[in-house]
Amino acid sequence: MEHARHVFRVVLVVIVGLAAILIGRGFLVPKSHGIFGAYRADNVAEQMKARLPAHQGAASCTPCHKGKAETRAAGSHKTVSCEVCHAPLLRHVAEGKVTGPMPVDKAFTACARCHRKIQGRPEKFPQVVLEQHVTTKLEGAVCLECHDPHSPKL
Amino acid sequence: MPEITGYAFPNDIHIHWSLMIVMYPYITGFVAGAFIVSALFHVFGREEFRPVARLAMATSLCFMAVATLPLNLHLGHPERSWLVMVTPNLSSAMAGFGMLYSGYLLILVLEVWFVWRQEIIKYARQSRGLKRTFYAALALGTYDQSPEAVAVDHRAATLLAAIGLPGACMLHGYVGFIFGGIKANPWWSTPLMPVIFLLSAAVSGIALLSILYQVVAKLNRRVIEGRTVAALARWLWFFLILTITLELLEIIMLAYEKSEAWHIISQLLTTRLEFSFITIQMVVGGLIPLILLGVVVLMDKYLHERIRNTLCIASSILLLIQVFSMRWNIVIGGQLLSKSFRGLRSPYSPEVFGREGVLMAIVLVILPFVLLWLFNRVLPIFGDDLPAGGAHHGDPPRAAAGAAAGAAVAEVEPA
Repeated sequence: MEHARHVFRVVLVVIVGLAAILIGRGFLVPKSHGIFGAYRADNVAEQMKARLPAHQGAASCTPCHKGKAETRAAGSHKTVSCEVCHAPLLRHVAEGKVTGPMPVDKAFTACARCHRKIQGRPEKFPQVVLEQHVTTKLEGAVCLECHDPHSPKL
Repeated sequence: MPEITGYAFPNDIHIHWSLMIVMYPYITGFVAGAFIVSALFHVFGREEFRPVARLAMATSLCFMAVATLPLNLHLGHPERSWLVMVTPNLSSAMAGFGMLYSGYLLILVLEVWFVWRQEIIKYARQSRGLKRTFYAALALGTYDQSPEAVAVDHRAATLLAAIGLPGACMLHGYVGFIFGGIKANPWWSTPLMPVIFLLSAAVSGIALLSILYQVVAKLNRRVIEGRTVAALARWLWFFLILTITLELLEIIMLAYEKSEAWHIISQLLTTRLEFSFITIQMVVGGLIPLILLGVVVLMDKYLHERIRNTLCIASSILLLIQVFSMRWNIVIGGQLLSKSFRGLRSPYSPEVFGREGVLMAIVLVILPFVLLWLFNRVLPIFGDDLPAGGAHHGDPPRAAAGAAAGAAVAEVEPA
């Protein structure tokens, strides 16, 4: 046994290490961890408090942009919310005041997201093979040269 | 923008598990594979592996040290990754990483300590100042070098290797389990997946060591032991046969059953993965090394030593590529097919720069070798006055245990 002293030492080091981890774990693991699942339950309430809803829906745009809202409501994009192409309202308006210009995605890739020909889409849904549909170069806001996104039918 | 052929769900075309998720099983595979080689000597008493046993253990540890990096590079919040270690979740295969990784790391570090203890003591006695303090702390203040203490070291190393072997298998098997357990994806969901991952890990580990051993021996102007190279080639061939058999078996089963998934998997293999699966994984990285190693194993006594060593290096390089392509085909291939089983997206090409890019992958491959060089500076892998591979493991106490274990292994040893 006297020649196994180093084994006892290394076992002691391991035990001390494990104890340190176990004790440290008590401090490191958040208090509400595991109440509802393998996550910190308090986080849900914290996120709800910390984050303002960014999207407000199409109705929130109508008071200021009545004309555009009417065009949209009459066209085939009536079910597409404004904030799909434009940024979420919070980037443009906060507490009823305009805070900055409203960013908008005009790239053809935004249109392609829904209208690119994919066999998995319903047959009656308007979709095109981009390379055949666009005769000029496929880049930038090429779709908007012919289509008005608020009322896309030509 | 990815191109789509066939009937793919519109939201089903993104590659979320990138090149880094290919790198993770590739690097972890070396950990398990190298450990298997060291265990062949430490547990099963295969004397021919003595010259590579310590190199194998050090390689395993160095690859282990970087194994978490590809995952951290992939994570959106790498700073939270340590939480997986302190909040075990028994119902999640991915969270199993925390326990498996830390448990296996502990065993590996302990085994390295027992195997290198004599050197640690030697340096603690020889050096002065800060260096002495460092080695004395590493030695935990005990300088017992008596034959009895050496025998205890040996028994501890053998015991740890015996525990570490299933540990290494579990660490890598679980990586396969993560893929094998995803039932929505027919290219992944098979109970064979953990076994295939494990066996290809053994292939990559042995292939790496067979290159590393010859390169390191050349650099150190040491003799390349013929029987070690031959033994590595024999085991490499054995594991390669098992791996290729299982990899083919999985596909043959799908093809023979003609299940609904075969419709898309057959297209995946013959179009998107034609080069990486058929050309690289099966022919260049599978069939050719199988023949080359077959020549080495079956015609060993007719081969000149240099030809045998060259054949081993060549087939090992091809096998390192084969195992990488296998990881690629599983991880990326599984994301090219739509869950509709009727559509495929265009092939994936990783970015060059950036966190998950090709350059980072190259750094991840080089890093373990830098660590190995550092390891060798602190704890010499080939001691000056020690026969390469661990002087303390041929002592009488192990010889008896080794003989018993060796007899058991002889039944499963190939060729």
